[in-house]
Amino acid sequence: MSKPRVAVYKMSSCAGCQLEILNLEPILLDLLGTVELSYFVMARRENEPGPYDIGLVEGAITCGEEIERLKKARQECHLLVALGSCACYGGLPSIKNWQPQRVVESRVYDNLAAIHSTTAYGIDYYVPVDAYLKGCPVSREELLDFIKSTLLGVRPYLRPHSVCVECKLHENVCLFVTDGAICLGPVTTAGCGALCPSRGKPCDGCRGPANDANTVSLAQTMVSYGLHHSDIARYFRKFAGMTPEFSKGAEAV
Amino acid sequence: MSVAYARQAEWGIPQLYLLPAAKLNPFLEELKEYYTVIGPVARGKEFVFAPVAKPEELALSYQTTLLPPKKVLHLPFEVLFSFHEDQQIVETAPEQRPQVIFGIHPCDVRAILILDKAYTAEYPDPYYIAKRRHTLLVALNCAEPGENCFCQSLGTGPDLKEGYDLLLTDLGHGYLIEVGSPWGRELVQTMDLAPAPRVAMVEKQKVLENARRKFHKKLNTQGLPELLEENFRHPIWEELMHDCLACGSCTMVCPTCFCYNVVDKIDLNLKSGKRQREWDSCMLLEYAQVALGHNFRKDRDARVKQRIYHKLVYYEPQFSTLGCVGCGRCIKTCVKKIDITDVISRLRGE
Repeated sequence: MSKPRVAVYKMSSCAGCQLEILNLEPILLDLLGTVELSYFVMARRENEPGPYDIGLVEGAITCGEEIERLKKARQECHLLVALGSCACYGGLPSIKNWQPQRVVESRVYDNLAAIHSTTAYGIDYYVPVDAYLKGCPVSREELLDFIKSTLLGVRPYLRPHSVCVECKLHENVCLFVTDGAICLGPVTTAGCGALCPSRGKPCDGCRGPANDANTVSLAQTMVSYGLHHSDIARYFRKFAGMTPEFSKGAEAV
Repeated sequence: MSVAYARQAEWGIPQLYLLPAAKLNPFLEELKEYYTVIGPVARGKEFVFAPVAKPEELALSYQTTLLPPKKVLHLPFEVLFSFHEDQQIVETAPEQRPQVIFGIHPCDVRAILILDKAYTAEYPDPYYIAKRRHTLLVALNCAEPGENCFCQSLGTGPDLKEGYDLLLTDLGHGYLIEVGSPWGRELVQTMDLAPAPRVAMVEKQKVLENARRKFHKKLNTQGLPELLEENFRHPIWEELMHDCLACGSCTMVCPTCFCYNVVDKIDLNLKSGKRQREWDSCMLLEYAQVALGHNFRKDRDARVKQRIYHKLVYYEPQFSTLGCVGCGRCIKTCVKKIDITDVISRLRGE
């Protein structure tokens, strides 16, 4: 049987999630024994045409040209996966969505003639998506788990609950209740192994809302910690402001 | 019958010894010769149960720890066995070296007695039992209850009457040691300890009396099942539904919560892998979800209720005890300061 073919696409992003695939270096050869990375511009000089079994799409969609490429990717892939927070929700590029496009564009570019950007969306705004691998960057563990489960035809174990669960499992000192730091862990999807809190840094919510995120209640607590409503909005809009849950949190107070 | 209860049944009146403060460290060194000693050590501003490398690390004046000592008997992550495509299964060999949980507070000992029932009675859990058999409990009576402690209301602290191998009480100048099992007696016999004078028991009572006066929180247990059954539709639940973050922290830090999830971790060759378990929680949305997506406790208030009713109502018929030992960890860990003692007193109209 031929190996399943994988394609990696890049939209508007920092390429960090693609880099995470290369960061699998110690086991990359084992991975290549299991799947064929047929289309991966960052890593291959020559790329093979589709169709592919699994398409990993990195980045948010922020211009018309990307919509076209995305639709083509959807057509040539059996499974289409949103790789990382940008592809899942718009991610960091979506922080521009609360300002007029022209204002944001002129802040970055001198000559606006060739710039035709649109509101930054996750890829499921335009095409159906089969799986979401969250995170900024994506978790290597979860990516591997997803690939292995897919090849076996079983449902991957992607944690739907809050980061607090993993923080407790690792017995971290709670930055929220012990240090009085604002942490988005209680409303953010786990799966990162509580990466930031385990290193003493509060959760920024890069993985987007957990499955029952009560962002309104968390926003009220942030008020009681003395945060201004604009700070609270910034917390919730940093990575996944376009999701209904985080946008509720941003507008709660 | 559970391990702890079988041990306890053979023993009646405790025997008393005195461990002078200066002899604590030599005692620990002696223990470490034969046992892995796990005790409270500092982590930042908090405390955790961890293997004690040097006696000086031991922080016996702790009030509570982040995770309960349950974590050394029922691990947060645990590999159960590894498997291979050709149906070969290799069980994880249990740790042979016995361990001592040193300085465990009465509430946490009581919680372990509850776990003993849950894990050894109807469906014996070989992984738990293997560790429990090799575990000694050197308990420490509480002298300084924390601001969230309410064990006194449940009769699970600040003192302890059963379930320990040795029980220490800090008398200031040294520790009164009460022997609770043959294993415990062996431990003290290896040390050259003087029997405690009678006055030590009076001093112990004073320490405990002093501790009893320091509780800030209480939970009135009178008619608790009836109270909760009558108030299943109380408006407080809707309030909690809006408040609760559904983060699951309260159940993760609970010393009596015993639920777990089982996950297979497949190797990249897709032919072998490991079966693992890790703590799970009824506070999480996916917990009560079944095939085809139906969820029995979709609403947050249903899950908050499940947690509180399970601890305070449903444990009783199953295990003949309440499921809460008043350690206060769930209150402490809650970002929203949801407080089980406050919920009960509000249901009582107080």
